[in-house]
Amino acid sequence: MANLEEALNTERVVYSEETIQNRIKELGRQITEDYKDKELIVIGVIKGSLYFLSDLTRAIDLPIKIDMVGFSSIPDTTSKTGIVRITKDIDIDITDKHVLVVEDVIRTGLTTAYIIQNLEMKKPKDITLCSMLLNPDRLLMTIPVKYYGFEINDQWLAGYGLDRNEIGRNLPYIAQIPKQK
Amino acid sequence: MAIITISRQNGSLGDEIADALASRLGTIVVSRKYALDNFFGEINPGTLDRLNESAKFFDLTLPGSDRTYADILVERIRALASESKDKDLIILGMGGSVLLSGFPGAIHVRVTASETTRLNTIAKKYRITTDEASEVLDIGDRKHRKFVRTVYGKDITSPEQFDLILNTDRLSVDECVDAIAELARKHDLRVKLSESNDSSNTIDHQTRNIAFKNETEEEFARILSLYNIEWLYEPKTFPVEWDAEGNVTMAISPDFYLPKFNLYLELTTMDQRYVTKKNKKMRLVKELYPGTNIRIVYKKDFNELVDRLKMFGGVGDNS
Repeated sequence: MANLEEALNTERVVYSEETIQNRIKELGRQITEDYKDKELIVIGVIKGSLYFLSDLTRAIDLPIKIDMVGFSSIPDTTSKTGIVRITKDIDIDITDKHVLVVEDVIRTGLTTAYIIQNLEMKKPKDITLCSMLLNPDRLLMTIPVKYYGFEINDQWLAGYGLDRNEIGRNLPYIAQIPKQK
Repeated sequence: MAIITISRQNGSLGDEIADALASRLGTIVVSRKYALDNFFGEINPGTLDRLNESAKFFDLTLPGSDRTYADILVERIRALASESKDKDLIILGMGGSVLLSGFPGAIHVRVTASETTRLNTIAKKYRITTDEASEVLDIGDRKHRKFVRTVYGKDITSPEQFDLILNTDRLSVDECVDAIAELARKHDLRVKLSESNDSSNTIDHQTRNIAFKNETEEEFARILSLYNIEWLYEPKTFPVEWDAEGNVTMAISPDFYLPKFNLYLELTTMDQRYVTKKNKKMRLVKELYPGTNIRIVYKKDFNELVDRLKMFGGVGDNS
């Protein structure tokens, strides 16, 4: 049976484990500074942010609360797409609290906009975003990305939470993979 | 923010709808009682009784003034409506739909119900028989009509003055409140866009029916709806070039406007030959209309968005 790199057919390492961890420490320091003396709730988006959330929250030296949100699409035969629904809502009350949403990657920003809209209904004090990866050229939505790890282009990536057909999340670094036809 | 006038038949649950709507929107109901308590200064109990009793007393002048109670009522309600630019306002009864007819941003709602429903509601509310309720209804309906006819010279029952007529025979108070609140929210968006047209010389298309130019636009609209992102299709046109006589020679009508994100999106997915021209128009919009967020959705963006949605069981990653 093929190992993980073979299964993904990885082409090159884009961000190594060390590069990722160093950048996360910087982000953690910045967030610690920005939210000093504030009540912060960090919400990770399932499943892509799994590892990033885990490392980032441990780099934040504040008494934060952590929660996760998940959503999924249901196929619809009348459309190429379907409908989106929340599959795991947050459990912590975020009313009047500062919220930091943690994503693995933001490209068009559509999914992030969906999450923000849902969280806004719970009346937090404010919502900001931290994404491991951000593609600023593809960003369509005006969303409050305050922190990000690295800028990316249109390449297809896997590892450190990012998957292709659910495979590749546990790759400890971020690698380029062939575009799926 | 909206100004909502609610006219109601007696026993149609109009008062309950107004109260529930006020609670939902975090505002107050300006009713006849509110007007009598707040608009005319101190009123002696005798006058108060007469004003409560019959509309004809609104034609009386205030002590020491040549102005009638009706004059003051009209002036104060219009002033409240003008001042409520950034907050919601509910006006219950008092011919609000006549008084604020044509007022920008005002929505006029009429609550009705069948005689049977109204009789049952009144009988239950006052613990009286349906025969007694019938008499109460007759008197109440007559008084409502008379008030508006006396104060404004209009007929409150004519349907063309209302934007929304609700029948509570089969609709609950909650359902009616949902409908009014949603209409008010959307109408507010439309009014704000219209106002921005006045100040920037852009052209309003919001009353047009949606007619997508191609399947891509239709699919993109579906994607936005899938993400629960509210959109308006081609709501306005931005003129970007004029000839020496001031005639518009080049303009752009962005395909989508997303009110929540204050963002215009233009799809260039059909023919890439037009991309350069569209890029130029985008640049001109940004220069000529500062503060306007406008972005192009390229063919590549659109295709990848659809591909990733199809590929992913859950829509999360890589989109």
